[in-house]
Amino acid sequence: MMLTAEQARELARRAVGLTHADGAEALVTSEDAALTRFADNRIHQNVAESDTGISVRAVVGKRMGVASTNRLDDTSLAACCERAVAAARLAPEDPDFRGLPSPVEVMTPDRVHPSVRAFDASARAEAAAAIIAQSAVRDLTAAGTVSATEYTVAVANSLGVDVGMGVSTVRSTVLSMSANGGSGWASHLSGAAGDFSPTALGDEAALLALRSDGAVSLDPGVYTVVLAPEAVSDILDFLGYLGLGAKPYAEESSFLSGKIGQQLLSPLISITDDATSAETLGLTFDFEGMPKRRTALIDAGVGRSPVTDSYWAAKLGLPNTGHALPAPNPYGPMPMNLEIAAGDARIEDMIGAVKHGVYVTRFHYVNVEDPVRAILTGMTRDGTFLIEDGRLAQPVKNLRFTQSAVDALNAVEAVGEKRTLIGPEDGGANLAPALLLSNWEFTGQTR
Amino acid sequence: MRELIDRALQAASSAGASYADVRVVHTTQENLSARNGVVEGVSTSESLGIGVRAIASGSWGFAATSSLESDAVVDVARQAVAIAKASALTTRTPVELSALPAYNDSWEGPCRIDPFTVSLDEKLDLLLAADAALRAEPAVKIAKGALGFIRVEKTFGSTIGSFIEQKYTESAAGITAYAIEDGEILPRSYPNSHGGQAVQGGWEAILALDLPGNAVRVAEQAAGLISAAPCPSGTKTIVIDGPQLALQVHESIGHPTELDRVLGDEAAFAGTSFLTLEDLGVLQYGSEHVTVTSDATIPGSLGSFGYDDEGVPAQRDFIVKDGLFTGFLSSRESAVRIGRESNGCMRADGWNRTPLVRMTTLSLEPGGWSLPDLIADTEDGIYMETNNSWSIDDRRLNFQFACEIGWEIKSGELGKMIKNPNYTGITPQFWNSCDAVCSADHWQVWGIPNCGKGEPMQVAHVAHGAAPARFRDVQVGVGR
Repeated sequence: MMLTAEQARELARRAVGLTHADGAEALVTSEDAALTRFADNRIHQNVAESDTGISVRAVVGKRMGVASTNRLDDTSLAACCERAVAAARLAPEDPDFRGLPSPVEVMTPDRVHPSVRAFDASARAEAAAAIIAQSAVRDLTAAGTVSATEYTVAVANSLGVDVGMGVSTVRSTVLSMSANGGSGWASHLSGAAGDFSPTALGDEAALLALRSDGAVSLDPGVYTVVLAPEAVSDILDFLGYLGLGAKPYAEESSFLSGKIGQQLLSPLISITDDATSAETLGLTFDFEGMPKRRTALIDAGVGRSPVTDSYWAAKLGLPNTGHALPAPNPYGPMPMNLEIAAGDARIEDMIGAVKHGVYVTRFHYVNVEDPVRAILTGMTRDGTFLIEDGRLAQPVKNLRFTQSAVDALNAVEAVGEKRTLIGPEDGGANLAPALLLSNWEFTGQTR
Repeated sequence: MRELIDRALQAASSAGASYADVRVVHTTQENLSARNGVVEGVSTSESLGIGVRAIASGSWGFAATSSLESDAVVDVARQAVAIAKASALTTRTPVELSALPAYNDSWEGPCRIDPFTVSLDEKLDLLLAADAALRAEPAVKIAKGALGFIRVEKTFGSTIGSFIEQKYTESAAGITAYAIEDGEILPRSYPNSHGGQAVQGGWEAILALDLPGNAVRVAEQAAGLISAAPCPSGTKTIVIDGPQLALQVHESIGHPTELDRVLGDEAAFAGTSFLTLEDLGVLQYGSEHVTVTSDATIPGSLGSFGYDDEGVPAQRDFIVKDGLFTGFLSSRESAVRIGRESNGCMRADGWNRTPLVRMTTLSLEPGGWSLPDLIADTEDGIYMETNNSWSIDDRRLNFQFACEIGWEIKSGELGKMIKNPNYTGITPQFWNSCDAVCSADHWQVWGIPNCGKGEPMQVAHVAHGAAPARFRDVQVGVGR
C-alpha cells in the first residue's frame, strides 16, 4: 500500500534517527503504478505494482555511503542504515563535499488527484478499448498504453530537512498503423483522469496514420523542417542531459562551458526549467529536499546558467537551483521540467512558410555522437511528410538525421504559440512548442 | 518460500485463473564508482518482492508487491486475476501457451570468489589504481571507473506444478579515459564502453580484467585521438572488433528476431521488426559466413540461466544458420503462433515486472580467420573498435553506429589512427556483405547489462559472443 506524504516523511525521519553518523539523509519513494498495454487492437499486457523503498545517505566527515532497501521492518531498516554508515566510514574523502544542505522552505502544491486512484483496471481497459475503436473502424491497428501512477516522495536529513509530497499522473500513448506502412502517433499526459479523452487521442493517431499511408523516398540532405512538439521534446531532453547541468558545464563537455553570457542559440529560443509551473507535473523539491527553483538556462539565445544541486553549487560558487538526483549520482544535477518559451506562430503558418521541407511528428532512438556540440543521430517515425509550397504533401519514408542540436536551435525561424506537455515514463515533463528550423541534416533513409 | 508461493497460486486459481505463475525475487547490489581520483559513489541496495502473472477469461494480468505478508500475497494474486478479467474486454482470441512439463529443480551460476565478501578497501584500491593510471596521461581530463556486483535469488512456481529455485552473481567493471580539447571530447574505454564488461561470476572475473594494467594503453590512445585523422566519408570495407560487433548483433539481429516484436506487441514503444512470420526458413539474413545462435547455457554469460521466467529450460537454438533465417526468440505464448514450442527467452527485470521475450546469449558463431590474416587480406579499409553511440529505426533496418577509435587499413596493414569513426547501413544488406569472421581464438562473450524494452521499462542483462568480422561496401563517415 502506498504511503501518504506524512507517512513517508515519518519513515524518512525515523531512518535519519537510526543512522549514527556525522550526518544523515533519507529518501523515501512509495508508488502505486498501473499500466495497460495494447497492440494489434487488443490488450496484451496489463500490470500493476506497489512498492516502497528507502535510500539512506550517511556522512562521516567528508566521506559518504549510500544504502537502500524496500524491506521496511525494523530490523531491515536498521541494517540498511548501518550499511550506509559502514560504507561511509570506508569511502575515501571527497574534498569538495561541503555537507548536507540545510532546510529551506518548500512549496508543495497538491498534485494528487483522486480521479487517478479511481482509474482502475476496468477504467483503463475501457479507455484502451475506446482508443482501439478509432483505429479498428478505419481498418487500422492500434498499439499503445494507458497508465495511472501515484507516487509519494519524502526527504529528511539530520539538519532538519523534512519534506514530502505526492504526485499523480495519467499518461497514454497511441500508435495507429495501416497495412501499407502508414503510422500516426498521439500522446497524453496530465495529472487527472478527467483531462484524458481516449476517443480524441485514438482519433488523432488514426487520422495521422491514414494520412501517412503510401510513403515515398526522399534524398538525404539539408532541409528546412517543422518539428512537432514531440520531436522538439526529444531534442530538449538531450540538450538538458548533455549541456544544461552543472557537471558537464564544469567538466567542459557542455556547449555552455565557458560561454555564459554569449549568444549560443537563436534569439527566439528561451529555455527554462520550472517544476513550480502550474502547467507541469512532478515534484517541487529535489532529492535532497531543496526547492526546485525556476531557472533561466537560455534567455533569448544567450547562455545563462546550468542547474545545480548542493554539491555543485558549492563547488562552482553558484546558487543551489534544487536539481539533485538521488545519491549516489554520477550525472550531477539535471533539469527535469524543461520548457521552451512559446512563440507566436501557428503550426499551419510554420508549414505555410516552407517552400520545400520536411514535417516531423516525432523521433525514434536518438543517441549522441558528440556531446559538446550535441550532435545527435536518430530516426523519424509515425508521420514524416514532405512540405511543398507551404502545404503538407506526400508522406516520406522514415529518415535518419545526424545533426547538432545547438546548430539546429541556432537556426530557428519560428516558435509555436501552443505548447504540449510531454513526459518520460518517470519523473518530470517538458513543455515543448513546435519549431520551424531552417537547417536540419538528414543523412539516410530506411527502406 | 514454497508455502508462500503455493498460497499465491491457490489464491489465483480460486479467483478464476486458468493458469498462474509466481516469482519471488531478492536482488542485492553493490556499486562503486570513481572519477578523477574521487570516489563518487559507494552504495548497496536490496529489493525483495513477489509478482503474480495470471490468465483469466483468456487474458493476462500481472500484479506485484514488495510485501510478503500472507494477506498481501493473497491480495496481489487476486489483483492479478482481476486485472486479467478487465483485459478481456478487448480479447478476440484467448491466450494459448505452448506445451511445457512441470519442473522441480534448482540452478546456480558460477562464482568462485564471492564479491560481496571482498573488502571495500580492496575494491576501492583497484578502482583508484586504475583511475590514477589513466590520469598519468596529461591529455586525459576525465578518468572514470566503476565496479558493480549483483546477486539474484529467484523462486518460481506455477499452476502446472513447477517449483524452481535459481541463484546467480554478476560482476562488472570498466574504465574510460576522456581526452578533451578544442570542444571535442574523445573517450577510450577498457574492456568495453558503457560500463565495461559484465559476466556471471565473482571477484575472480574482475581481477582477470587487470584494469590498472590496461589503463596506460587506454589513456595513451585517448590522448592520441586528439591529433588523429577524421573519419573519411564514403563507402569502405570495414573490420569490426568483437565488442562493437556484439552490439551490432544485439541491435540488428537480436531485437528484430524477438517474436513478440514481430507480432507487434512492442510497436508503440521500441518498434516492430522488418521480419515477418513468412520469412522463417526463407530469408537470407546474411552471407554464408553468418551463423547466429541463441544459447542460455554458456557458463559465465550474462545471458545464462537454468530456466527462463516462465519455467522453460535453458536452450541453444539456431537463429541464423549459414546466412539463412531459421528461428525467432520466443515465449510460450508467441511460439504457438509459429507452431513451435518456446525456446526459453522469457525474462523479467525483477519481481515487479512481467516477463517479456528477451535475448539470452545471442552470438555470431566464429569463423576461421585469424585477425592478423584478416587485416593482411584487406587492401583498403578501416578497423573500428569499441562502441560510442548507437541508433536504429523502429523496424530494425536503418542503423548507425559510432566507435571510439578506428585504424586505417592500407595494403593489408593497420595504419594511422582515426577519430570518431562511424558507419551506417540496412540490416540484411549489411549482414549479407560479411565476407569473413575471425576464429574461436578471437571469440568472446560480451555482457550487455542495459538492454531496454517494454512499458513499464525493463532493463535486461543479455550477452553476445563475437569475434572480429569484415564487411564490404559500408557507408562510413556519416555527417562528418
